[in-house]
Amino acid sequence: MTDNQEKFIGYFGFPRRSLLREVRDRYGAGLPLVDLDVYSGAPDSGLLPRATCRIIANIVDNAAELGGRLAAVVAAVGEDKCDRGRHAAWILEGMGLDVIESRFTEEEFEERPLVWSTGRGPLPGRVDRIMETIIDPSPPSDPPEKCEPTHGFWGVPPNDFRLLDLFPDTTHIFGWIRCVEAGRPADLELECMVDDGVPTVFFHQSFCAKQDLAHNLAERYGGIAVDCHREINDSILAKVEAFIKLS
Amino acid sequence: MLIADCGSSWTKILETVSGELEIISTRELVRREDLFFEVATGHSGKKRCKVYKNELIALAEGSLALVEEEDFSIVDVGGRDVKFVRFSGRKIKKLDWNLACGSSTGATIELLGSYYEVDFDGLPIKGKWINVTCGVFGMEKVLEHVSTGTPPEEAVAMFLHGMVRNVFDFSGRPEHLYLSGGFCENKCFLQTMEKYCNVTPLGRTVPLEGLKNDIR
Repeated sequence: MTDNQEKFIGYFGFPRRSLLREVRDRYGAGLPLVDLDVYSGAPDSGLLPRATCRIIANIVDNAAELGGRLAAVVAAVGEDKCDRGRHAAWILEGMGLDVIESRFTEEEFEERPLVWSTGRGPLPGRVDRIMETIIDPSPPSDPPEKCEPTHGFWGVPPNDFRLLDLFPDTTHIFGWIRCVEAGRPADLELECMVDDGVPTVFFHQSFCAKQDLAHNLAERYGGIAVDCHREINDSILAKVEAFIKLS
Repeated sequence: MLIADCGSSWTKILETVSGELEIISTRELVRREDLFFEVATGHSGKKRCKVYKNELIALAEGSLALVEEEDFSIVDVGGRDVKFVRFSGRKIKKLDWNLACGSSTGATIELLGSYYEVDFDGLPIKGKWINVTCGVFGMEKVLEHVSTGTPPEEAVAMFLHGMVRNVFDFSGRPEHLYLSGGFCENKCFLQTMEKYCNVTPLGRTVPLEGLKNDIR
């Protein structure tokens, strides 16, 4: 994952920007930030049961792999993440890591423009750009053109991005990813907002509480709920492909 | 010219000129490396055809070829999964594909039927049901029932009833449902389904109908 000698500041979820700045000032502004949510090939730490959210498992496995190279971990543990995020922070503390908890409250909500969520372009790249705004929220120098949506993708960044390759460039982004771009990660109202009439795939990781929202919204708006644990398999790809083609 | 629906348990092969339909076990298909199709659907058909078609799309297009109604729902109950499409004004209104929980129940009922030597035509329709969370959990409950004195036929019928309830719920509890797949030939399944909604069996060749437009 990283150079042996290098130190990092780890984070997961969407920590408060002010706290992230504060931690960087305290531990070293030059230290690279690493998003622990993202699968990086770290081996199974064995610290969590096998049937658990893959994203939370990534956090714990990545932190166990990096160990002492993590100068600190900024952990989203509030409504902007989930209970399992809070539990992961507790486990990381038990591993001897310096964990700083973040709760993104309404007072710090922002009103950032939805450049990538409503723009045209390959979906995996736009999701990546949105997640990068957690660290650098400055306006992009290469914004995509706006487009009318033909499809919608609702949810969180999947553990396996190959799912996103299936969607046309005119797919709008909804759910928690849109909340991140807006700077409002705990805004349930925004998270549950979709374009009525736009065929939307409601994605959640298996064993994630967001499945309750995904299933409810899929029923309400005539979309499909799709979940995946580790890697996307052919059956899941086929289901999404059929929905996109037939809708 | 051959087209095929290569399901998890059974492969349906249609000779389009003569109209002859051959149904072989997918176990046999795997052994027959010579079999190659003009158009195919189903997991096992991907590497055996000129044109491959997504299973859910094949089901949707096949049902449109067979059903003339403007608004209708169709469900395909396979060995490994359940597929569902609802049309409104002959346009897709909703679709779904049950791949995880509730999966493999079709294959499990075949295994149970074979193990207990059950004749599905003579199987009693049971008012009680077993919660069939998935094939394995459902099978565990059947084994438990049999070991505590329930006749195997009765336990299997209860499994079938649990499966029918899953299919009915998965399809959005419609008043009328078109059924596709091997369960169209299972009298106990059809009669149990009639307790919940009107059901019209379309047989095992609906996805094959959906492949015909792709013949070049």
